Amino acid sequence: MRIGTLKESYTADAALFDSTTQKTWLCAGAALLVLLPFVASDYWLYLACLVAINVASATGLNILTGYTGLVSLGQAAFMGLGAYTVAILQMRVGTPFLVNIFAGGAVAMLGGVIVGIPSLRVKGLYLAIATIAASFITHFLFANSKFTGGTTGLSLPPATLFGLPLDTSFRLYWVIVPIMLLMVLGAANLFRTRVGRAFIAIRDRDISAEVLGIPLLRYKLLSFGLSSFYAGVAGGLWAYFFRVVTPESFPLLMSIFFLAAIIVGGMGSILGGILGAVFMTLVPELLKLVFDILPGGTEMTVLLSPVRMVVFGMLIVGFLVFEPHGLAEVWRRVRRFFHLWPFRN
Amino acid sequence: MDWAYLFEISLTGVAGGGLYALAALAFVLVYKATRVVNIAIGEMLMIGAYIFFSFAATFALPIWLAALAAVLGTGALGAVIERTMIRPLLGQPPISVFMVTVGLASILIGLVEIIWTADQRRLPEFLPNTPVMIGDAFLAPKVAYGSLLALALIALVLLLFRFWRGGVALRATASDQGAAYMMGINVPRVFSLAWVASGMIAAVAGIVVGAIGGISSSMGVFGLSVLVVVIVGGLDSVLGALVGGLFIGLIEALAGAFLGAEYKLLATFVMLVVVLMIRPYGLSGTHEIERL
Amino acid sequence: MKNADSLSLRRRSIVLAAGAALASPALVHAQAEDIVLGGSIPMTGVFAFAGIGINAGIADYVKIVNDGGGIKGRKLRYVPEDTGYKVDVSVAAFKKITSQNKVNLYYGDSTGFSKTINPELDRSGQILMAGASFATELNDPKKYPNQFLVGPDYTEMFGILLKHIAKEKPGAKVAFVYSDSEFGRDPIEESEAVAKKLGLSVPIKIMTPAGSVDVSTEVIKLRRAAPDYTIFHGYVLAPIPEFIQQGKQQGMTSKWMGTFWTMDSSTVMKMGDAGDGFMGVMPYRYHYDTAAKSPMMDKIRALRPEYQSTAYMQGFLTAMLFTEAARRTLDAGKPLDGKNLKAALNSIKDYDTGGLIGVPITIKGNSIPVGRVYKADMKAQKMVAASDWIALD
Repeated sequence: MRIGTLKESYTADAALFDSTTQKTWLCAGAALLVLLPFVASDYWLYLACLVAINVASATGLNILTGYTGLVSLGQAAFMGLGAYTVAILQMRVGTPFLVNIFAGGAVAMLGGVIVGIPSLRVKGLYLAIATIAASFITHFLFANSKFTGGTTGLSLPPATLFGLPLDTSFRLYWVIVPIMLLMVLGAANLFRTRVGRAFIAIRDRDISAEVLGIPLLRYKLLSFGLSSFYAGVAGGLWAYFFRVVTPESFPLLMSIFFLAAIIVGGMGSILGGILGAVFMTLVPELLKLVFDILPGGTEMTVLLSPVRMVVFGMLIVGFLVFEPHGLAEVWRRVRRFFHLWPFRN
Repeated sequence: MDWAYLFEISLTGVAGGGLYALAALAFVLVYKATRVVNIAIGEMLMIGAYIFFSFAATFALPIWLAALAAVLGTGALGAVIERTMIRPLLGQPPISVFMVTVGLASILIGLVEIIWTADQRRLPEFLPNTPVMIGDAFLAPKVAYGSLLALALIALVLLLFRFWRGGVALRATASDQGAAYMMGINVPRVFSLAWVASGMIAAVAGIVVGAIGGISSSMGVFGLSVLVVVIVGGLDSVLGALVGGLFIGLIEALAGAFLGAEYKLLATFVMLVVVLMIRPYGLSGTHEIERL
Repeated sequence: MKNADSLSLRRRSIVLAAGAALASPALVHAQAEDIVLGGSIPMTGVFAFAGIGINAGIADYVKIVNDGGGIKGRKLRYVPEDTGYKVDVSVAAFKKITSQNKVNLYYGDSTGFSKTINPELDRSGQILMAGASFATELNDPKKYPNQFLVGPDYTEMFGILLKHIAKEKPGAKVAFVYSDSEFGRDPIEESEAVAKKLGLSVPIKIMTPAGSVDVSTEVIKLRRAAPDYTIFHGYVLAPIPEFIQQGKQQGMTSKWMGTFWTMDSSTVMKMGDAGDGFMGVMPYRYHYDTAAKSPMMDKIRALRPEYQSTAYMQGFLTAMLFTEAARRTLDAGKPLDGKNLKAALNSIKDYDTGGLIGVPITIKGNSIPVGRVYKADMKAQKMVAASDWIALD
């Protein structure tokens, strides 16, 4: 049972991880992450990489929607910008892998700032609809310009790090997961700074925030820019992972997926973004496992995709109706139980 | 400049816009009464069309009976949705309710695919087949009669809003919920009514759209174009839905004819962005004033 | 604290056990004996109708092979995944199946997928791929050495139709109506050139966006071009019936034609009266075709007495050709990899498909350029042959 958390200095109070139990769990988690590629099969490594990419992108969306309160359905479009940038650079220019990822993030950031400009005029749902429009316009650009390969898309050679081609899930894991961890840590730290606090103020009441001296447009654009940078990097990693980028790779459905992930995980908390992304990525695989166990043969595989859609929808509706603060809230309750044990509450 | 061609294209566009107006009407009803952006409107349309298909094709009922069944069924669906998904979220931020409708859309698509599979199907023919001629311009009969039906329904709804108690109650609830309660209006009942009416209109729209283009589990993307229409017309304005629908239909047809069919969706979304920047509340929507 | 220690010890052992459980799938897939036929199959989405048929066709042929002892004693294993006809889902399915099994044969669900996965196939060199695509671009053994088409490519199909038109009505005007997708755009440019060479003119090419509901504006454009023939490509059913119906209502006298994926009998019959006289190219026999002696068709009819679509035939034939290629590779004592399987496939000469295709086939390059023009007879509710088996070279 946790009795009291005594802090003796300001820095200690502002620390991200304060108790020894938290630190030991983090070390165990890190050890697990390091051990995983050596014990897991190729299929689980593939899933792990996919989960890491989704966590990175969901964290970005969380910055924008969870912490700043600007609902965006354009996350997939920004990922697409990042992915195409990386693909074009890798295919045609041949710059090193990290430069490409950074460039992908930068291009997506530019896109994000442009899409954020209407936020001066419109708020809330209208802004969400503007992001839907942006998503469609970028899709049109991807599909109809020769530069991006049109509807065929682009197929890029694997990234090389120190001469070693990153073409298996095992090798990519060692690149994707550290980048993802850096991004998540960055986001967590962001909300200890005044920029992060300004975002939260904007979410709670933007007019009051402006009264307090926070320049709204600048910070809203910053939020858009940061979150789309995250999306761009995630998109770049996606491009290196699948090595095939087409206009259909980043549909509106993917933006909805990320929004659902942070809602299910819990908006406005970094842990929520992580939990939500992990959960939503693994649920379809879990369903597939369940379907494999059930008898019925190939007739049942036809049902898998619609059942997946129904489950996806029910998860969103269920969490919104019964647990609006998401999985992070469930986690907090479990933690509180263990903190207060043997007392009840 | 081939004026006859322009006229013909414009005519088709405006008639097609009538269909958009019908679907937009279903959307506006819900928004006006409950302030909920129902992104699943396209999917409710689809359910109406599929119920009609089941009764008309599989059970071979006469067309009018099947249509009635579809309308009542989708109305009932609207009531169920309102009770189970929307009512519990009263008072939550609008984005939550928006996401609930997103989840609902997924559920509806999945259900349709499970029950009827994802194949494209065609509805039995029931609209007259002779082309409508206005001067020298052809107008496809299905589109023409569909839009006439849309206009009739919109006129009906406008009249109901003006003269029927339920319609007035809906307008009252829309403008001030608190005052409506105080005047003795059963506000929860009004919410249900709005959703039921929306479902019924969506069913009619679905049947017409299905009659023209066939039905499939991806019919719901029609809802995205409807979103543009309601933004242009104003989220809570019935007349705006009509004008917006006709306008967007016209823009789409012109873009399709003179630029190429792939530009249709682009044109509507560019229009959306322009309207959002210049007149965010649409042509005749209520300007929302935010107070601290 | 003692309590906390034992608790965390328990938690740690659970974590280790979970890790071991994660590792177990790696041990299960050790069956190297089976020959794996992986598939990205569009069992939902716009191509669902075809996908379900393809799935059944491949599964049935695999069953026939395994019942007959497999390929040189090795069982054929079919591992499908649903893709909804989306390229990235298809790529993800490919990655998943190839990471869980040693795959030598793969069925791809779309033109887009076949084009985008090609560099990967070239890199791994282990897989021979065919699929639902008949794209002209894929019919290039130099660029796509590990792939082949199970029939004529789309330009060859257009070619067969255009030849038929040129014979029936020299100098006719032919309109192309196609969908905005990889599948739709593929043969249009080359076919226009072929038409010009045959002395035909192409007054208009109309592209419809995917999932479009209202095609009235396109029909107006088509009517103004006043073509004698209209060829549809890139669709399964919609929006062809609307085009035909509205076109006929507006007084168009054009004859209507389609390519492979539109030519399934049940699809054409759904067109109703609008579909009477609808023509197109089909390289295979229809399920109900009992005109000539076809032992394999009889076997199919025995397995599945109810109508099976052309998609089923396509899947069935693909599995047949895969099996034949694998068999020939193993007979020559060579290992199963992309190069050897393709070489074995290209050694197929005057091969009898048991009646699925009406003439013996030879696979010189990447396609099987054989086909027949069929016409829809609404009264008999059947597709009837309107020409002989045409073999292009």
